[in-house]
Amino acid sequence: MKKQTLSLLSAVAVAALMGTVATPAAADRVVKIAGFGAKSGVVRSFGINTEAVMQAAVEHINSEGGVKLGDGTMAKIEMTFDDDRCNAEEGISVLRKIASSDALVAVGPTCSNVAEPLFGILQRSVDDAGDSGLQIPVFTDTAIKGGLAKISEWAFRNVPNENEMYRTLFLWVKENYPDLQTMFGGVEEDFAHSRFTWYQVMDKRAQEAGFEVKGFAKWLLADTNFTQQVREMKKAKPDFVAISSHPFTLCGVLKEMNRQRVRPKLMIGLTSSSSMETLQGCSKAANGIIIPSSFAPVTDRAKMVAKLTDEKGGSADLHSAAAWEIVEVLTSVIESEGIMAKADTVQEDRRKVRDGLAKLETTNGLIGTIMREMDGEATKPYLYVHAQDGEWAVLHDPSAS
Amino acid sequence: MMEIEIFGWTPLDYIQTIVDGILFGATYAIIAIGFTLIFGVMDKLNLAYAATALAGAYLSWGVGTQIPLPAPAAYAISALAAGVFGYLVYICNFRYIPQGAPLASLLATIGMLLFLEEIIVHATEGMPQPYPALFDDVMLEWGDFGVRGDLLFVFGLCVLATAFLLYVLYRTKLGMATRAVAQQPVAAQLCGMSVQGTNSTTFVIAGVIGGIAGAMVGASVGILSPLLTVPVTVKGLIAAVIGGLGSIPGAIVGGLLIGALENTFQLVRGVTERDMYVMLLLFAFLAFRPGGIFGTASRHE
Repeated sequence: MKKQTLSLLSAVAVAALMGTVATPAAADRVVKIAGFGAKSGVVRSFGINTEAVMQAAVEHINSEGGVKLGDGTMAKIEMTFDDDRCNAEEGISVLRKIASSDALVAVGPTCSNVAEPLFGILQRSVDDAGDSGLQIPVFTDTAIKGGLAKISEWAFRNVPNENEMYRTLFLWVKENYPDLQTMFGGVEEDFAHSRFTWYQVMDKRAQEAGFEVKGFAKWLLADTNFTQQVREMKKAKPDFVAISSHPFTLCGVLKEMNRQRVRPKLMIGLTSSSSMETLQGCSKAANGIIIPSSFAPVTDRAKMVAKLTDEKGGSADLHSAAAWEIVEVLTSVIESEGIMAKADTVQEDRRKVRDGLAKLETTNGLIGTIMREMDGEATKPYLYVHAQDGEWAVLHDPSAS
Repeated sequence: MMEIEIFGWTPLDYIQTIVDGILFGATYAIIAIGFTLIFGVMDKLNLAYAATALAGAYLSWGVGTQIPLPAPAAYAISALAAGVFGYLVYICNFRYIPQGAPLASLLATIGMLLFLEEIIVHATEGMPQPYPALFDDVMLEWGDFGVRGDLLFVFGLCVLATAFLLYVLYRTKLGMATRAVAQQPVAAQLCGMSVQGTNSTTFVIAGVIGGIAGAMVGASVGILSPLLTVPVTVKGLIAAVIGGLGSIPGAIVGGLLIGALENTFQLVRGVTERDMYVMLLLFAFLAFRPGGIFGTASRHE
């Protein structure tokens, strides 16, 4: 009996020892994802929202057991989030720090003026031994200026294709508002995204749809006085206006339009302005403005993301919700590419993640299927939303027509 | 009949532009008065001034989110809060920094500017916030010419604030002490006036005036944003330098002039070149008339 008890105790001790040995080994196997974006300065809300969405996504995946590694072990995802202040130098410095850590992939940045130079320090083509650029996949959720992912084969984006969104939007306007013939534009001239979207997207796509562009007014991101620009708008007497501008100046212009009683039959805004910031700043003046957006809580998954993000103190919008999709895509790539997540496989794992991302043809987005393009860009499903009584409401779903 | 055009714009366009600019320039003028008042008394620049002005406006907005406030009450809270912030800036950036180290206090105020801006960003997540305006639905129109009712109100309030300040400076004992310390600090001290007391009072008064300016900037745009702090600081400072640092009439003229000129430059050369010409004007003044329009080369003895 004594011998039996001793054997039993020994067995328990060995099992416990194995357990203690096995537990740290499993705990060590974590997959690290490094988020970064603007968490200070005037675009702080973008970083706050992305971080909240990423945290919610990581917690959701971990609560379901985590991610399966190449050897069958289940690992948890760990995430960090660094502030780049929407500043190119700081963004580059943050990415260098991430590259020197054991993070497998970087998710960010917020601003296009950071993304452009930052993609420039990545290795341009994989396997180019003569290129000493950083070799870490960067997956962007927010920086939306067109065509940036083609800078490097390590760069990927999950941002909407504005060219496509505005092309169909203007055609839809043409079809549904046949009395509208003329348009006047407005552009926030010193911001990479708004500038690109006006000159390369809105202006051209509106003319292609058959609208006469009667002119456009310019202002700067920090401008406070829009009387002159709105007078130009008033003089042009357009049927509708399209404003490529972020919330602060969009609100300034809309309020000035109200003061000068400029009441176009329709208003179209920049994708980035379909956010809470616009409603917070000028919900009354913005009432009715139509914006194409790649996110709205219209599906069960999208509703869940909006709720979980809200609990994390953020807001899910067309930019931040993309981070959820990115974390989900990364999880599936990690599982399909046999990532090992060991200290000595970091570079090998990064390459596998990159190759896995490059192979994707479609991914499962929150409001529909996302097409992955050869150049690292995405074509995302979208909706037309409009500001209505302090909320963004879905006006039209182009995929349904 | 052919209409006369100068650089593609009619005389009415120019008149409209200049009037708009002058009305909006009232906010620059009032910020410039704050810069000039502090410089006049201490011979030092307080670059955190516009930030304290906007911090006052933000505080009044914050109170307004808790208790519904009529616009005049919000403006009053902004003025009082900015007065308190002005005093805090004096304590943190001037009071304990040796008089003989002007660069130290200058750099400290830059730090304070960035600090206040970041506090605002963190408190509001950088989101623009609506700010109450009076008469923003009023537009006075005569044919193609129009004047915004709210800007007219902003202009009027700025004129009143300036009149109040001039009254304090030239009709009260406090004003006499302020002027005495500004002109002859040693003699003023020998006569029993407290230099530190006068300095701190000047910061409070300048803060109150700044709070009104901050509220008026918010009211004229209709929104408060952390983006406002740097441009308002820069424009106010340029107005003060062009008008003549230390001269209150100079600050007024400088502010209105900058408002009118930047609008005109924008009309003729576009928004992207506008600030370039304003800066050129500043360089020209610094090179050829460093004392500004109303200033003198050196006032302190």
